[in-house]
Amino acid sequence: MLRLWTLKQKPHRNLILKCLHSSSNVAASTSFVSSNAPSPPTKWTPDSIRTGLIARKRGMTALWNDQGARLPVTVLQLENCQVTANIVTTRQDKSEYHAVQVAASDKPLKRTTRQMQGHFRKAKVNPKRIVKEFSITSDAHVPIGTTFSAIHFVPGQYVDVIAKSIGKGFQGGMKRWNFKGLRASHGVSVSHRSAGATGAHQDPGRIWPGKKMAARMGGQRITTQNLAVVRVDTSLNLIYLRGAVPGVDDAQVMIRDAKKLAAVGRHNQAKGLYEKVLPKGVDDLPFPAGTLEMAKTLPSIIEAPAYRVSPFVPRE
Amino acid sequence: MFNIFRWTSKSLTRTMATAAQTVSKPYPFSKTAIILPEPYVSPPLPLVQGKGLMPYLQKNLTTPEKQTMLRELFGRHSAKRIYPGSIVGVTLEHAPFAFTGVVLAIRRRGIDTSMVLRNVIQRTGVEMQLFVNSPHVKTIKVVQKPPKGRMKRAKLFYLRHSPEKMSALAGSKKGTIA
Repeated sequence: MLRLWTLKQKPHRNLILKCLHSSSNVAASTSFVSSNAPSPPTKWTPDSIRTGLIARKRGMTALWNDQGARLPVTVLQLENCQVTANIVTTRQDKSEYHAVQVAASDKPLKRTTRQMQGHFRKAKVNPKRIVKEFSITSDAHVPIGTTFSAIHFVPGQYVDVIAKSIGKGFQGGMKRWNFKGLRASHGVSVSHRSAGATGAHQDPGRIWPGKKMAARMGGQRITTQNLAVVRVDTSLNLIYLRGAVPGVDDAQVMIRDAKKLAAVGRHNQAKGLYEKVLPKGVDDLPFPAGTLEMAKTLPSIIEAPAYRVSPFVPRE
Repeated sequence: MFNIFRWTSKSLTRTMATAAQTVSKPYPFSKTAIILPEPYVSPPLPLVQGKGLMPYLQKNLTTPEKQTMLRELFGRHSAKRIYPGSIVGVTLEHAPFAFTGVVLAIRRRGIDTSMVLRNVIQRTGVEMQLFVNSPHVKTIKVVQKPPKGRMKRAKLFYLRHSPEKMSALAGSKKGTIA
């Protein structure tokens, strides 16, 4: 079965040749960490994938937009989010994997292991609590040591947020799998919330692997997709997203540009619908990343207006 | 239209927004984005580190007028606070533009504070849940205080099923419903 998205994972053949010729040759399936290669200022293209950021979920509140509609928002704060490595690896099928390693939330030196101390010393950043990788296209590498800012996201764009969901502990079938349980009365004895039967009879004579049962629930990596960026505040490094985000308050979350909408944008670009490549109101994205230096040249607090007809105006 | 709904986000030591702000820096990534006024001072380090951030945002994500309204009318210890059971008139930006009713419930959640007003208009019970911070809410005025200063309940949802108690609350002001 032809899966077009697997083909799209591989960068263009010309890019591979460029990479092979430009830097030192990489042996198959070995990774190297490239140093601070100064690159010319690049511009965002619909085929580029930017890096994401790591932030802390601070809580939820409400904002009222310019039309007067109330939006529930999650407040995310960047805590000294910096680049610690640029990764370029060649897969076995000769395709290239590019990634930016991002770290956030400073940590005391004495609580960092020697191995990680060395890693952070090489990147010339403070020791951090969380280190994560974001896969990118080859043009979106960011110099090591760059500090990100909330200006990286543009109000009006959509993002995916990845975080560990709230742990619910050991939970039964009704909560975990939305089982209906049993009747409240009419003779049901001591099993109102139980799962009931778990299989057939002598054939197969066992329970199928993967049977939905009671077990630990929550505390897993969850991606919430397509959350709109409502407001960006660079003075406090805050990103306001419309909607809820998995995890508890003060948890580390990964934010990156919405994958699915970016794919739709790429298709629109290929079709020639240039107005629909980026969401309404968004003209460009900071590329390769929104840094602290860029934030100093731009306004501090930016908000997205409602890109729709006011819901308070009565219609026929 | 834009001026009415424009928010002025505040910093800690800020007073009323003065006119004649410096020209805001251009934002090349979105032509239609709303650029809010810059904070006067850079926020203190604990806020940047996240300490006390949410209580700070609860207070400061609104205009000074709304902050005063929240503090005076919905603060727990304010002298002019609204009690459940009082009759309150509000003016709104959208229909019905003016609404008067009995306060059934006050939900205090910082900037998400809201109250439920109930009135009977043309033999139809009408309730409105109004968020104090909404830009559509222009003014809130206490028309009549509850009898004997305060009711014995925080939430008066029982009034939905007893019109006689409702009219007893309205009392002499019944004829002046907007």
